[in-house]
Amino acid sequence: MRRALAFEFSKMRKSLVVAVTTALIVVLVPGLCLGFVVIAERGGTGVMALKAQAMVSGEGWEAYLGLLGQMTAITLFIGPGVVAAWAFGREHADGTFPSLFAMPVDRGTVAAAKFVVLAAWGAALTALLLAATVLVGIVGGVGPMGDIDLATTLARMGLVGVLTALLALTVGYAASVGRGYLPAFGALILLTIAAQVAVLFGTGGWFPYAAPGLYAVAGSEEGIDVHAVQLLLVPLLALAVAWATVRWWRTAEVV
Amino acid sequence: MREAMIEAGGLVRTFGEDRAVDGVDLQVAAGEVHAIVGLNGAGKTTLMRMLLGMLRPTAGTARLDGAEVATAGPGVWRRVGCMIEAQFVYPELTVRENLRGAALLHGLPRDGIGPEVDRVIGEFLLGRWEHKRARTLSLGNKQRLGLAAALLHRPSILILDEPSNALDPAGVVFVRDLLRDAAADGAAVLVSSHHLDQLARVADRITVLHRGVIVGDLDPGGTDLEERFFSEVYEADRVRAARATGAA
Repeated sequence: MRRALAFEFSKMRKSLVVAVTTALIVVLVPGLCLGFVVIAERGGTGVMALKAQAMVSGEGWEAYLGLLGQMTAITLFIGPGVVAAWAFGREHADGTFPSLFAMPVDRGTVAAAKFVVLAAWGAALTALLLAATVLVGIVGGVGPMGDIDLATTLARMGLVGVLTALLALTVGYAASVGRGYLPAFGALILLTIAAQVAVLFGTGGWFPYAAPGLYAVAGSEEGIDVHAVQLLLVPLLALAVAWATVRWWRTAEVV
Repeated sequence: MREAMIEAGGLVRTFGEDRAVDGVDLQVAAGEVHAIVGLNGAGKTTLMRMLLGMLRPTAGTARLDGAEVATAGPGVWRRVGCMIEAQFVYPELTVRENLRGAALLHGLPRDGIGPEVDRVIGEFLLGRWEHKRARTLSLGNKQRLGLAAALLHRPSILILDEPSNALDPAGVVFVRDLLRDAAADGAAVLVSSHHLDQLARVADRITVLHRGVIVGDLDPGGTDLEERFFSEVYEADRVRAARATGAA
């Protein structure tokens, strides 16, 4: 496993997809949230101002972190989803999949190593996003801290980020079975839509792809509550899909 | 007769109604270069894929060094080097990083990886590009890198599909020497190619595969290889057509 981990890590480290996704999420997400909060607080009746006011509730850090919580649930699904699509789909798109046969380190181990490296990157990405959130908030002069408990809010955001990033890895199964990037991108879009529909029907808490997003706003919006059991379903689902993906890699033929 | 290191016994693989490989028996002994020739779609790649566990046979057995391919463990695969269509070439990695990755997955001892990578970079004339990303390499150099990745762990079983593809004349000669050297070191080599003249210079045996069936052998030392190849293929087609007419 350590050999496969070392090789997968070297590919991740040199990947443009990973570098661009990391930079976009860490820099752009807090920057955008800060921008929306500033626009909303300035008031006005312009299109941007009205949109920002609709997205932001409260003021200062409460508004900034509230918006970031929602954005975390979306961006840490799509970003790591794209990277997972690349990590698994590239072996087929670049034609390297057959070259992983006939080796003492089997393909199942290679797939498991991909999950481990992607999960570790997802956790690191979440940590970087939290650090950037605080930094951008302070440098950007978000405003009064108010009653907000920064540590608790960041811990909640961190949990949302890690759970969401774990869920995103499940598109690796679609990239494997579909043998390329496109099926994974399709799965990413479908799951995002399905999560929205589940929330609309009021069953989002029991739908693992919607639960972290609901948990992100559960503290600030009335009528939304997510239980620990519902959140526990998220890593369980991620593990089940990872197991199915590893099994596919172990038994798949070259076609 | 030396013990067979690569062995196909009645191998069959079907894709729907199509019998891509149809009852192939074949053995390659240690120190032997066995070439397979055939037209496009003859079943060469499918046969090699079954021998490497990339495809499951519909019927028959595939063995490497006496072990069933379907259940072969790391100990067997550690001794195998192969390149079937795809190369172990990751475009975002440098030549050296690709070779290091191949060495890791081939199970080379960690302290031996650096020296072995240095060796193949020298042997395969990749020194000029060792720190360049593989995406910047020419087709021929990607082929060299793929071959280096397949051979850096000094395999005793070597299965290569069209190894001279995309190589310049110097590269073709290089591959020829490579195969002969590997066999001289005791490796069992199974190789396919369209270049009959090249195969004749390196192979101990040449088997003609046509429509998934072995239709004959060619003497590597003989003359008019091309003519004899086509006569075997046309004869096989004639017999097949006669059988079909008889059956109808």
